[in-house]
Amino acid sequence: MIKLSNLRLGFDTGFNLEVASLNVRAGEVFAIIGPNGAGKTTLLNTLALLRRPSSGSLEIMGKDALAAANKMFLRRAMSVVFSQPYLLNDTVYRNVALPLKLRGRKDPAAVEEALELFKISHLKGRSAKTLSQGESHRAALARAFVIRPGLVLLDEPFASLDERVKDSIIADLRKVVKASNAAVVLVTQDQSGALTLCDRLAVIVNGKILQQGAPQEIFSRPVSAEVADFVGVATILPGKIVSKKENLCAVEACGRTLMVVSDCEAGDSVFVCLRPEGVSVSLSADAGGRRNNFKSTVVSAAPWGLEYKVELDCGFALQAAVTKQLVEGLELKAGGEVYASFKATAAHLIKRG
Amino acid sequence: MGFIAEGFQKALHLIFSGNAEIFAIARLSLMVSVLATAAAVLVGVPLGSWIAVKKFPLKKFLIALINTGMGLPPVVAGLVVMLFLARSGPFGFLNWLYTPAGMIIAQIIIATPIIMALSVSAMQSVDPKFYQQMLTLGAGDWQAIKVCLKEIRLSVLAAVIAGFGRLVAEVGAVMIVGGNIRHQTRVLTTATVMETQMGNFDSAIALGLILLALSFAVNLALTLIQQDRALPR
Repeated sequence: MIKLSNLRLGFDTGFNLEVASLNVRAGEVFAIIGPNGAGKTTLLNTLALLRRPSSGSLEIMGKDALAAANKMFLRRAMSVVFSQPYLLNDTVYRNVALPLKLRGRKDPAAVEEALELFKISHLKGRSAKTLSQGESHRAALARAFVIRPGLVLLDEPFASLDERVKDSIIADLRKVVKASNAAVVLVTQDQSGALTLCDRLAVIVNGKILQQGAPQEIFSRPVSAEVADFVGVATILPGKIVSKKENLCAVEACGRTLMVVSDCEAGDSVFVCLRPEGVSVSLSADAGGRRNNFKSTVVSAAPWGLEYKVELDCGFALQAAVTKQLVEGLELKAGGEVYASFKATAAHLIKRG
Repeated sequence: MGFIAEGFQKALHLIFSGNAEIFAIARLSLMVSVLATAAAVLVGVPLGSWIAVKKFPLKKFLIALINTGMGLPPVVAGLVVMLFLARSGPFGFLNWLYTPAGMIIAQIIIATPIIMALSVSAMQSVDPKFYQQMLTLGAGDWQAIKVCLKEIRLSVLAAVIAGFGRLVAEVGAVMIVGGNIRHQTRVLTTATVMETQMGNFDSAIALGLILLALSFAVNLALTLIQQDRALPR
């Protein structure tokens, strides 16, 4: 559906978007995540043919998307939803019907179907200016899907929504996307939203895609410290592999030896990455078969979403995500002594340099 | 002071007695201003909108030029049109000098920069992402501009009102190009000037009152359309 290679887009500010390769297949949801100013929206605007790259090639639906002759055809085969719905000062029905009108088509059945898919049929006679934020976003999504597009580009579509509304819209969007054969590119900072929807994921930082693949792979095996930092790997330690037996590496890091399963070789300089969810905390020295177990001092314990994030000092700073019950049961508080343990497979090594 | 009251009295008599010549003058005034405004809208609104949404070299320079055109002295516009339409001028073959057609041309030149400049500024008030959203929904450039214009119709109508207001009150250009010829090119403003110069204050006041009434009627109609559209807020 989308084949992009060696794309480059420069700005006067010195920021450059450089994407070596990006492929999105029909029927898949491809999320592009990254911090603010990473170039996500610039990349999406390029895919939406609103920006022209200074070099590289871009193929959409088998056509050269950079050829002026194909621009209108491709624009009319795709839909884009921005973070703001940008609805007309008109009824919801006419807003949803707008893409058809712009194509010189009348298809009341398609409009009704789109309204139905996003559960806003009852609002069709209302002025779009009187809708709530959630309803406006539903109207914008219905408008995007009314033409049964081959490609849908979503630019931070849930950025301004509260959690409850966001979850309900994502659930409906997921159903619509799965039922259609459209390729969807979702650009967002919202990792949970991306994970709920996407089949594959790319992480973009400073204008470059650093990693792309299955979400599980990226979250558990980030290829660089920047990716690890963005996807929520709380502990990143520089170290060196001092020995290796089969796949089990002994890594010297911050004066401690950590056992990690990895393909890296002995002698490699590495980053040890560890997600808070992979670390267990207990009062007993028994690690329960985990290869890494360190006596630690609790630095702090603070609520973190539905869980608690515990900052530990075990010769190096380590973060663990634990339940509220565990915090209360173990009476975890600053200065307390505990054991922190993690499996050799819970950590991940990234080669340095 | 008595002559003013007397002037008003005679003016009302002239208006309500249905003086054919005065009504012919009023009709011509209305026709010239309305046609010139319509033509200026047809040129100024799309072109102004296009300039607002497109990126091109010297765009700011062009906008400054259009803004300068808003203050174009009507006598200068009239003089230029007269020179072009004069028998020995480049468009002398049209024989439009001292005709309503020539007056309309002069008024188009006066009103177009006003309507264009106000359209540029109205269109620039639209969020550029709204325009981009229309493009991504499958609109061509002109379709997207049309949708945006519908969104800012209140400002566009304000531009039309400003343009018409300037034209209906305009005297210098129509005097030069039209020549204030009785039964041919005499309009309310030129007739008012003439009657005042001749000391016929009753006729001058009558013409002035009709001009005001005419201007009010057209502006009332445009304002009603404008405010009616504004109601849904």
